[in-house]
Amino acid sequence: MKPFDIVIVGGGGAGLYAAMEAMKTNPSLNIAVLSKVYPNRSHTSAAQGGANAALANKAKDDTVELHIFDTIKGSDYLADQDAVDILCSEAPKIIRELDNIGTPWSRLDDNTIAQRPFGGAGRPRCCYCADKTGHTILQTLYEQCLKKGVFFFNEYFVLNLSVNDSRMKGLVAMNIKTGKIEAFPARTVVFATGGYAKMYWNRSSNAAGNTGDGQAIAYRAGIPLKDMEFVQFHPTGLRKSGLLVTEGARGEGGYLVNMDGERFMSRYAPEKMELGPRDLVARSIETEILQGRGFDSPAGKYVHLDLTHLGADLIKSRLPQIREMSMYFEGVDPIEEPIPVRPTAHYSMGGIDTDNDGRTVMDGVYAAGECACVSVHGANRLGGNSLLDILVFGRIAGRTAAEEARKFEPAPITADEISQTEAMLRSYMRPSGHFERYGTLREELGQTLGMNVGIFREASKIRKGVQDLKDLQERFTHVRVFDTGDVYNTNLLQVLELKNMLDLAETVAEGALAREESRGSHTRTDFPQRDDGKWHKHTLATLEGGSVKLGEKPVTMGRYELQERTY
Amino acid sequence: MTGATELHTEEKREITLRVHRFNPQVDSKPYFDDYTIQVEKGITVLRSLNYIKEHVDASVSFRAFCQAGICGSCGMRINGISKLACTTQVWDELSKCKEPGVIKIEPLRNMPLIKDLIVDMDPLVDKMKHYSNWIVSSMPEPEMGQKEFLVSEEEFQKYEKATDCILCASCVSECTILRAHKEYVSPAVLLKSYRMNVDSRDAIHDTRLGELVKDHGVWDCTHCYRCQETCVKHIPIMEAIHGIREDAIEVRGAKDTSGAKHAEAFMEDIEKKGKLVEATLPIRTNGMAWTLQNLLPMAMKMIMKRRTPPPPLLVKPIKGIKKFREMFREMTEHVKAEQKSHKK
Ligand SMILES: Cc1cc2nc3c(=O)[nH]c(=O)nc-3n(C[C@H](O)[C@H](O)[C@H](O)COP(=O)(O)OP(=O)(O)OC[C@H]3O[C@@H](n4cnc5c(N)ncnc54)[C@H](O)[C@@H]3O)c2cc1C
Ligand code: SF4
Ligand code: SF4
Ligand code: FES
Repeated sequence: MKPFDIVIVGGGGAGLYAAMEAMKTNPSLNIAVLSKVYPNRSHTSAAQGGANAALANKAKDDTVELHIFDTIKGSDYLADQDAVDILCSEAPKIIRELDNIGTPWSRLDDNTIAQRPFGGAGRPRCCYCADKTGHTILQTLYEQCLKKGVFFFNEYFVLNLSVNDSRMKGLVAMNIKTGKIEAFPARTVVFATGGYAKMYWNRSSNAAGNTGDGQAIAYRAGIPLKDMEFVQFHPTGLRKSGLLVTEGARGEGGYLVNMDGERFMSRYAPEKMELGPRDLVARSIETEILQGRGFDSPAGKYVHLDLTHLGADLIKSRLPQIREMSMYFEGVDPIEEPIPVRPTAHYSMGGIDTDNDGRTVMDGVYAAGECACVSVHGANRLGGNSLLDILVFGRIAGRTAAEEARKFEPAPITADEISQTEAMLRSYMRPSGHFERYGTLREELGQTLGMNVGIFREASKIRKGVQDLKDLQERFTHVRVFDTGDVYNTNLLQVLELKNMLDLAETVAEGALAREESRGSHTRTDFPQRDDGKWHKHTLATLEGGSVKLGEKPVTMGRYELQERTY
Repeated sequence: MTGATELHTEEKREITLRVHRFNPQVDSKPYFDDYTIQVEKGITVLRSLNYIKEHVDASVSFRAFCQAGICGSCGMRINGISKLACTTQVWDELSKCKEPGVIKIEPLRNMPLIKDLIVDMDPLVDKMKHYSNWIVSSMPEPEMGQKEFLVSEEEFQKYEKATDCILCASCVSECTILRAHKEYVSPAVLLKSYRMNVDSRDAIHDTRLGELVKDHGVWDCTHCYRCQETCVKHIPIMEAIHGIREDAIEVRGAKDTSGAKHAEAFMEDIEKKGKLVEATLPIRTNGMAWTLQNLLPMAMKMIMKRRTPPPPLLVKPIKGIKKFREMFREMTEHVKAEQKSHKK
């Protein structure tokens, strides 16, 4: 294959914006987007709430400056302040641009783009399209890419970066429909593969494919990952699937109730009760469960989100989606019965370490979106800032790659590399020595992470987690792919995704063990305070000699001094 | 309120999933495999399939991603109806089984089969491209990002529902015309085209419409309503189809060369529903006289060709309807007489 100038891995919001911008920056470039699912299936579609931008349509006194402050404070001062500046300054422009190309934003009475309040923001600045914001943004971007004739390789699974003496040569990927391993020689590669929160498996709100493939591929190629220990939990996920029950349910007056029939939030947040901040509510539910006041079921322990007292009319008129969800996914009608819920892993703050232009430490390799860590979210992401992140930094990474592509000479990917990869994949299918089922390993991965590297962390538990991960890695060498066919082998894909999650889980656990403080989403019961003296810095995880090596990187300050984070 | 003494046992049942299998590398034709498993109440069809894949037969292949009814990956036919596996409760399907306790799982129709429950989505994407299913912004490029369009709530409401579409292709799978004509535009693409055409920010309304009225376009729809009845997001797809037709007549009017198509649509209405659906008819915009002059003769020719006398006609009284009914009756008699003479 002729070398590409740019290959973008991922067709979510970040990848599509990168593609559009790269084409605009230099129309003569030869650009491809590879995605393991059709781009419109990407997880960006799941975002309901909206995207933040200080348009000041709703609150006339909103400013970019206020948005910056909210973001830095929300990050528990771990975000890089120059990056946050870019994020918030670009926000109004990019939201308008989306309007200009067809995103169906909801509207205010004066026909401008609608905005609503969102957690952690001092002004109502979250732009939305009903409860399907991510879906409509993704549709718009996909439509525009089709219009521009972006070259899509849909249902291609990227396996690894081809690197020779730290010189990136391109990618090796599998055509899922045929099973064929193909080389994609490229001058530049942009990773936009989304988050890794699915490693918590049934305790995650993420799509099945949010397995951190891009991060794992970069990590194995020697590129550092930043702040991997920061994983955001949402308080109310459905028990069986981890799918999200949005704040709306509590906003309308839903109760959180434990096994004793007690509205336990009275003990944690007597004033705000169920409407306390996300992380506090999540910790409270987790505490109830850990102290034995949760319900038990084959699918795990949980508490009740009780809406029954709100009455059928209110539930039907104000919370139809939530009712539909619990009926579809739990078989429970909230008019008649409480919804079984527990906290669920929702967003990964950590990711591939990049600079403000999307560059990684490796020449020609860029990253953007949830798979990257610039860092604009620091220790805790604000709702509505992630869609913004993927748009703003997707665009920037696309532009940088387009500007720099011609700096790098292409190099061939050898037939040897391809056949080695083929042999590696085939080896999983050999019966001898291969007997482990990926489903079992994946289940155990989710469990140990949830128990030992979940909401509450402490040294002894994390160490247990680290040990479990080592055992799982060992057992993974015996994993068996039972489907030996070439065409659309989802069994093989799931095994490859499991390997990616296992590798990344180690960086999450090691980061969590090292960071002896509590900051943002990272709560150490043995170190309950934020420790700015020792830990006001990023962690960097690199792969050395088969295990995680931790380094560090300073936080860029500039605008706001460290303060205590209180709400 | 649930007390501490509640027993947390859950209802369990044994069910069978009868799954369509086909691996192009080894099978010359598709077959079915039965998987009998224990499931608890509250489990979806997708979770049952996942269970089978993980514990019984790893080679069963299907698509799924979000597991939350938003990505559109897991469209398949469950007990004969196209829908999402991830939002379908096993318990709800049990009452719909032909054979008690056996849920039949098949791939979507009207798209090329790849393996087991997986079909090729590329033809649908190609159609989206063919019908320009995107906005060409009326904002000049240099001004982009600097100001927003003002859009009224009224306009927003015109396409709000249509933007719910997750391209799951369930409607495509159920479309009656597509079974016969693979080139047919498809309901989802009509819906998307409509959504673009009513958006005031768009600049290529007429070009898109020009494409939609050509062969395999909007006039080929038989008005069977299957797409709308199937839509997993409950989108009123027929409103979009009517909308495009009305728009076509309004903008392109009688000078349109696709007059024959109008007549076809008109006949289809009569044959399928025994009535005229006003929105599809040019009566309102072009008047009864025009319709009688232009459409009825053409429709008559078609009836002669097919030799199926249409059912009696129901129409809301409109000016000129008496004359219309008369001619229609005459025409029907004529066809019947023709048929009789043929039988002899
Ligand atoms: C339930 C939910 C609700 C949310 N709500 C909000 C909200 O209201 N506001 C907000 O700002 N954020 C929200 N978020 C977060 C936000 O949606 C995500 O962070 C964001 O959409 C990620 O976009 P992305 O482009 O980085 O990745 P994704 O959209 O996840 O796309 C990743 C892409 O990479 C591809 N890919 C991955 N691995 C490979 C591989 N190996 N080979 C080839 N391709 C690959 C995939 O096919 C996909 O196209 C929410 C998240 C969840 C889970
Ligand atoms: S109404 Fe038209 S588009 Fe819908 S299923 Fe019937 S023929 Fe197809
Ligand atoms: S119109 Fe409905 S059924 Fe058809 S693809 Fe869209 S969501 Fe699916
Ligand atoms: S898996 Fe996404 S819609 Fe069913």
